[in-house]
Amino acid sequence: MAIHAGAPRRSTLAPGDHAKLDDLRARLADLKDEPGATLEALYAAQAVFSYVPPEAVTMIAEELRLPESEVFGVLTFYTMFHRKPSAKYVLRVCRDLSCHISGAPAVLKALNDELGTRVSEVTEDGLFETESVSCLGLCDLQPAVMVNLEQHGPLDAEKARGLLADLRAREA
Amino acid sequence: MELVVTKNFGNPQSWTLESYRKAGGYQALEKVLNEMTPEDVSELVKESGLSGRGGAFFPTGLKWQFVRSDPKTPRYVVINGDESEPGTYVNRYSLELDPHLMLEGMLIAAYACNATLGYVYIRGEYGLAHERTQAAIREAYEAGYLGQNIMGKEGFSFEVTFRRGAGAYIVGEETALFNSLEGKRGNPRYKPPFPTNVGVWGLPTAINNVETLSAAPAIIENGTEWFQNLGHGEATGTKMYCLSGRVAKPGVHELPLGTTARELIYDYGGGVLDGRPLKGFKPGGASSAALGPEHLDAALEPRSMAALGTIMGTGGVVVYDDTVCMVDAAYRDALFFEEESCGFCIPCREGAPNLVQICERIMHGQGTLDDLDLLEDLGASMMASFCGLGQFAHQPVRGAVRAFRDEFEAHIRDRHCEAGVCQFANNGRLA
Repeated sequence: MAIHAGAPRRSTLAPGDHAKLDDLRARLADLKDEPGATLEALYAAQAVFSYVPPEAVTMIAEELRLPESEVFGVLTFYTMFHRKPSAKYVLRVCRDLSCHISGAPAVLKALNDELGTRVSEVTEDGLFETESVSCLGLCDLQPAVMVNLEQHGPLDAEKARGLLADLRAREA
Repeated sequence: MELVVTKNFGNPQSWTLESYRKAGGYQALEKVLNEMTPEDVSELVKESGLSGRGGAFFPTGLKWQFVRSDPKTPRYVVINGDESEPGTYVNRYSLELDPHLMLEGMLIAAYACNATLGYVYIRGEYGLAHERTQAAIREAYEAGYLGQNIMGKEGFSFEVTFRRGAGAYIVGEETALFNSLEGKRGNPRYKPPFPTNVGVWGLPTAINNVETLSAAPAIIENGTEWFQNLGHGEATGTKMYCLSGRVAKPGVHELPLGTTARELIYDYGGGVLDGRPLKGFKPGGASSAALGPEHLDAALEPRSMAALGTIMGTGGVVVYDDTVCMVDAAYRDALFFEEESCGFCIPCREGAPNLVQICERIMHGQGTLDDLDLLEDLGASMMASFCGLGQFAHQPVRGAVRAFRDEFEAHIRDRHCEAGVCQFANNGRLA
């Protein structure tokens, strides 16, 4: 009994965000005839919304002429895509071997304590969230943190707090 | 020692075309286009012994010959820059500091393969590498190194598309990378057919690691004997090794393939951090089984590592001192593979979490000696995995048990963790 078939998925868009769908459609125009551009299309959606809302999945599927399920499958496969609004600064803390034995747990704890959040929880001002992630390829900067795509390390608890202070200063 | 793939790293603005040309860049490509046939190129590279630096060490020239021999067109050259193996960051250095060297190598490969199309695929997290590689591609187009009739050579055309990943270790597996390039989930494909015949978009594809292609220009310019003499015996050429973990100076060092772990760690890495005793080391990233200090004089090259029951892998050497608990270290590797398993086949999807659970039990003082046998059985089952991820995921855990069995037994029998990492009071899962 497919009673949910066709029922619209719950929108996660903020009221002001609906207008941004036109922005996304414009960005997708360059991609729709390029074979295999699904990841880039999802990146485009994330650039517009800070995450990939269900409306964007539907739009990407239409524009790239793909099944919606396939676009959703790709979205959920790759860890750098978000399905809920993400912070302006995503702090990716490496949790793998080299960083772990060089003090990564203390760095993650210092960041979370300072922000008053848990992993993947966005601060109320929308500025920060931490993620505990697989190796970032920054082992020479162990323990390493990526702020969006910016490389930071080696860090300890104090330097991690300093990093947050620097980022807050950028916003001031 | 003469450097092959890192020779330009110290040059000012080394990632720009201007700097690359000043250092003699694109002269090997000119030589190839003016003096050599595609057959000459693949034969020369075959003779040099250059093999895949991503960790599989497949002969590069042979791969190019296979691609060229397939009648289907267009043929592709794909650069695998999805480096994601824990402890490994050599491609990042090449992509950030010398993308033109890799592009010149790619063009030489394209000529040898009669390929006309290419992709550069870089993992999603390497932001600076994206910028510099894209800029290098633009510069190469403007200067006539990419596009139609390259360097005036009638009929030699090659178009490159830049692509980035979005966070998935498995995409480093070549067929998973093709799926990702095609805009799909990064599940691996069945082999055979191999990529040389059925690669991206079902067409013949030479997929090579960044470091492998970066070695090609120097081989063309200096010859095979020069390249062979750089290495040790059958392990020809150099390798970018990288150090991390409990080592005084983490960093990248290009050294003869077959350099010993002792030389790398002590002569180049400044020894163990704070002069502490060495407990062991991993020769090549998370997938490789750790070795104890008694193997410090083993050569870091594929054959000697295989003889010790581990793998050369990526050359990402991770150093352990006495502050590291080997059960915890094995647990970290298990967690990594649990997270990164693509979920497509059962032995890997179910096996990896089982490895995690067994390690957790031992760390919490709830393990039994039977668990150590269970790890062996589980590993044997995981060999049935669809791709290399699952086939290697259990190696670091089993390897740790083999090399550091006393430490595992101390956790089980005495609830004792020599390194003081495991607390034994905690019944929940460790963060």
